[in-house]
Amino acid sequence: MIRFDQVTKTFEHEGTSFKAVDQVDLDIQKGEIFGVIGFSGAGKSTLVRLVNQLERPTSGQVKIDGQDMSRVSASELRNIRRDIGMIFQHFNLLETKTVYHNIAFPLTLAGTPKREVKKRVEEILEFVGLTDRANHYPDQLSGGQKQRVGIARALATSPSILLCDEATSALDPETTKSILKLLKKVRDEYNITVLIITHEMNVIKEICDRVAVMENGKVVEHGSIFDLFSQPKHPTTQKFVQTVMNDEIPESILKEVEARHIYRVTFRDGSASQPVLSNVAKHFNVEVNVLYGQITELQQTPFGNLIVELQGEDEEINNALQHLEKQVIIQEVKADGR
Amino acid sequence: MDVSVLELWPRIVEATNETILMVGISLLLACLIGIPLGIALVVTRENGLMESGPVFNVLNVIVNIFRSIPFIILLVAILPITRFIVGTSIGTAAAVVPLVFFSAPFVARLVESSLLEVNKGVVEAAQAMGATNWQIIFRVLLPEALSSIALNLTIATIGLVGASAMAGFVGGGGLGDLAISYGYQRFETDIMIATVVLLVVIVQIVQMIGNYLSKKLRRL
Repeated sequence: MIRFDQVTKTFEHEGTSFKAVDQVDLDIQKGEIFGVIGFSGAGKSTLVRLVNQLERPTSGQVKIDGQDMSRVSASELRNIRRDIGMIFQHFNLLETKTVYHNIAFPLTLAGTPKREVKKRVEEILEFVGLTDRANHYPDQLSGGQKQRVGIARALATSPSILLCDEATSALDPETTKSILKLLKKVRDEYNITVLIITHEMNVIKEICDRVAVMENGKVVEHGSIFDLFSQPKHPTTQKFVQTVMNDEIPESILKEVEARHIYRVTFRDGSASQPVLSNVAKHFNVEVNVLYGQITELQQTPFGNLIVELQGEDEEINNALQHLEKQVIIQEVKADGR
Repeated sequence: MDVSVLELWPRIVEATNETILMVGISLLLACLIGIPLGIALVVTRENGLMESGPVFNVLNVIVNIFRSIPFIILLVAILPITRFIVGTSIGTAAAVVPLVFFSAPFVARLVESSLLEVNKGVVEAAQAMGATNWQIIFRVLLPEALSSIALNLTIATIGLVGASAMAGFVGGGGLGDLAISYGYQRFETDIMIATVVLLVVIVQIVQMIGNYLSKKLRRL
């Protein structure tokens, strides 16, 4: 659907050049919710703007459905942009226009007949739950409502891609949740490909299927969120995962790892909902002692880390481990905490 | 030698009309030139919609030149142009020419600053929707800036009322002319006070209209 092929974007400023995006390769599938996470200045805002060519790549190609975006004419580009909705951190609504006319705006720009505009706007107002706010002005709305208008406006032209640039960063946690729910509904009901840029790991955790981690313009790691949460490789990814899942092992446990059999058990793909550990205790002659842990939800699927100690004969422990490896990820905890 | 305000009343009414006429026509023409000029200054500047260094620099310098000449000097300096355009260098019509030269660049600057206040994000959003540059100018920038433009044009209008007082030098007439020729040169304090009071009233009314329009234009 969206394909980045060795994309680099360099900004020149007063003689110095700065690589905002550095040789990025990404492949975003149709209908998936793809997250790009990074600290500020990582280049993710530039990356998202390369999709609809608000920024032009310095080198490399951005392809949408196989079409190289830097080769299309200005008028073709405007047509393609109508197929790509975009929402923003600060909503960017027209302050002088009502909610209704803000949502109608992209349609009237495209010269849609009035009757059709009315039908579509009413439909989409219903979808985002703002029918009763149609004649309000943006300054009469809360942040969450403004972002709903932003989403409605982005969806007005029935796009196949929705770009979200820090769409929840200006909202409180409760409102963030409701907006994320709405974005999920957008994907589920319209099968729109959603590209989300954020610095908040809980946004990724809540709705993304796959995620790329960016740092200094480069994608340092990418994969399914289960892979990234269960086995983050890059230090930046680990930092982000820790913001929502504290998987650091307490000092008190680390002190004793040499003498005891301590393992990190990572549950994924729903294994957290099965009694994996108690089964092991039943079938093998080992005691399972849970020392520390955290279970959370990734996309409505339980996911988590437990630090457990296995007590028993070495052979029994080995058998138990072999059995466990079939169902969960199990790693021995070393003294350095990893 | 005293002339009463009452005796001169017809002359005062006439002068008021002249002032309103001069300011009105000058403002209209200044807007016709200044608003497109202000738009051009915004869209051709660095990172503007139609960025063009040469165009921006030329317009910028021209506007600055006219903005730096004091009105009283401009009035005299462009007399040949005035004569060329209206056929004469005296009278109300002749006063309009320098007033336009004076206020059009001012209006351009005011419109420029109003347009620059428009949230860049809104422009970006319109671009992302596939809007053309002209659509962005006429359907995003101008509507969003209209309330601020109304307030700024109020400033320009009041500036014009002040400048029009100097138009007496070219026999332009108006309240300022009356205040100078009767009140100042002939020591008719009553006339002086009457004209000044009228000018104050005009300025008050202009400001009231400006505030009202600005408020209305915040919601289109």
